[in-house]
Amino acid sequence: MEINKYLLQRISNSIITHIFLMAVTVSCLFPLFWMVRCALMTNATVFTDKSFVPHVLHFKNFITAWTEGGFSVYFFNSVIYTVSVVVGIVLISSLAAYAFSRLDFPGKNFFFYMFVAALMIPFPGSFVPLVVLMNKIGWTNMRYGYILCMINVGLSMSILLLKTFFDKMSPDLEDAARIDGCGRLGIWWHVALPLARPAIAVIVIFNSLNVWNEYILANLLLNDKSLMPLQRGLMVFQGAHSVDYPLLMAGLTIAAVPIILIYLAMQKHIIKGLSSGTTVG
Amino acid sequence: MRKLLGIFLCLLMVVSAGCAPKQQDANTITIWHWMTDRHKAFEALAQKYEAQTGVKVKIELYAPSDAYTQKVIASAQAHVLPDIYGILDKKEVFASFIESGFVADLTDEFKKNDSEWENSLFAKALDVNRFSDGNIYKIKPGIYGVPLDVTNIQMLYNKKMLEKAGIKTPPKTFEEFLSDTQALKRIGLAGLVSGWGEQWMINCFASNYAFNIMGEQKVMATYKGEVPYTDPDWIKVFNIFATLAKEGALAEGVVTKPNKFAEQDFALERAAFAFNGSWCVNVYNDMNPDLAYGVMLPPAVSTAFPMKIWGGAGSSFVVNKDSSRKDKAIAFLKWLTADEQQQYLAQQTKNLPSNKKALSSIPQILSDFAAVMDQTTHPSIWEYNEDPWVAEKFAKGIQSIIIGEKTPEEVAKEVQTAKQQELEKAKSKTN
Repeated sequence: MEINKYLLQRISNSIITHIFLMAVTVSCLFPLFWMVRCALMTNATVFTDKSFVPHVLHFKNFITAWTEGGFSVYFFNSVIYTVSVVVGIVLISSLAAYAFSRLDFPGKNFFFYMFVAALMIPFPGSFVPLVVLMNKIGWTNMRYGYILCMINVGLSMSILLLKTFFDKMSPDLEDAARIDGCGRLGIWWHVALPLARPAIAVIVIFNSLNVWNEYILANLLLNDKSLMPLQRGLMVFQGAHSVDYPLLMAGLTIAAVPIILIYLAMQKHIIKGLSSGTTVG
Repeated sequence: MRKLLGIFLCLLMVVSAGCAPKQQDANTITIWHWMTDRHKAFEALAQKYEAQTGVKVKIELYAPSDAYTQKVIASAQAHVLPDIYGILDKKEVFASFIESGFVADLTDEFKKNDSEWENSLFAKALDVNRFSDGNIYKIKPGIYGVPLDVTNIQMLYNKKMLEKAGIKTPPKTFEEFLSDTQALKRIGLAGLVSGWGEQWMINCFASNYAFNIMGEQKVMATYKGEVPYTDPDWIKVFNIFATLAKEGALAEGVVTKPNKFAEQDFALERAAFAFNGSWCVNVYNDMNPDLAYGVMLPPAVSTAFPMKIWGGAGSSFVVNKDSSRKDKAIAFLKWLTADEQQQYLAQQTKNLPSNKKALSSIPQILSDFAAVMDQTTHPSIWEYNEDPWVAEKFAKGIQSIIIGEKTPEEVAKEVQTAKQQELEKAKSKTN
């Protein structure tokens, strides 16, 4: 019997690829499953019940986590912070990146490299100067103080990403827009931004995740409980020596949902960006 | 574009709303703490205090402890520390805060009315906050912090498991302990579990026995470099671990276990003995409220010197020296450490109170822990401390003894070599 070597190789390659992809999928999804599983247990059963799916499901844990963790206020704050910071980063970084890419002005390279160099400063290294600065200008314990700091944190990476994108944009598109009567801001808004959608999707996901999960800077700059983000609510379930695992996991599940939704909403733009050609426009 | 700008402006309005800087009034004191499990109890006490005195106490929680420490350090540099806060670090960091003028000296307050406040608290707990004459940090002698609770590290035994193995009373000597673990082994139960994957826990257990075998003076002389680790007494200390391992008295994987996992093992009745701190009462209660257990001192191996266990202040607060509400802050701390409030805190949070008189109405197991507070000691109050690198070598050496990789004599030699190197380094620095 003659064996079709080509077909055999294709099938074996496909099997290996699928096994690898399934392993990656399981390793990504299993922690999420485990989080939800533990969220449905009690403190007594979380260490003893070895079953894959708990015998008794305690959905009430989600309500308890929401009320005990004071999630209403924190959730609202986190939404405000995430939306403000992400909108701020997209607006400022796209304007800056467009200017670095398309305009000529003195010190252009110097300022761009300064932004890139800011990426080298580890986040915790900037804590003390930020607290001192915010105190000096009286912006500690203020929402906008925290939002501006977080916008600052996300700018460098976003500018770098968008500038690379705008550099690839064809000058013909700009000329066409100019003929149609667009000014510089008009070109940025009508031409550059729509084309940069995949890069913006990456920026939105990356920064949303960053702001949504941020706690240390909020802890340093904000004092009022009513201004704290969602991560503060999760701390309620973690004592110095003991942890309320089911409620913590329920809280983490609640906290993870918006980020998963953002990722799902932005996913198609990223895929579109990856599948498009190397030249933008 | 208009839409996006519209959204941005709307958000700006929302974030700006209610953001006017608030000036704190002279009748409000602010406390920063990291103790998540005690937050509700603190808030309840703050309300009670306000009702009694009219002084408002703002309790602000910043957890976990790492994030809290960062906040305190950053705020100290920006000179925006609250009226009352805690310093979660080594004594040298505490000393640097005092030196920088961030901590008020409370000695006079403690000494008022024939030292009424000082005498109401456990002396061992105050020692952690005390700088004595001629201290190595060159801090003006005095008391700089207020202990809220005390803690100590002892051994726990599972009553049901011991009964099952036919053991009527918990062991008092090391020989009794070994024979009890043999009895447990015969019926398939594990002996001692502890978080010996964490260096400090292994060093704590070893130092208990070092004090028991050779006494405090000789231990300090070793740290000072006058007695070598190859001394027969230190070999005896290392031999304890070799014996425990050889006799199968230890639970499986004890050398790699973090204390959290060791706590699970004891709470879920996977081991009959545990070596753990008094905070475990809270932890075990959360994991297994029906757990029947007792507390005992680590069984002595010698009668030459008393067994000393690690203990002292659990959590302490300090008063900001620059606070304009310093007197109110001190008055609140006095009230917080009074009998009634300490009893309430102990009952609510299952921690040992720092006030001696509050012991009368706390749960039995906490009372048993507190009964041996006089036998506690702690590295933060020792005259000398071992060099961190030598201490690491010491702990790792013990771990290798337990897994049978090295003999006590080999480990003793290695630790002594490390000690010698550190002594020479220190000598060359002073020259």
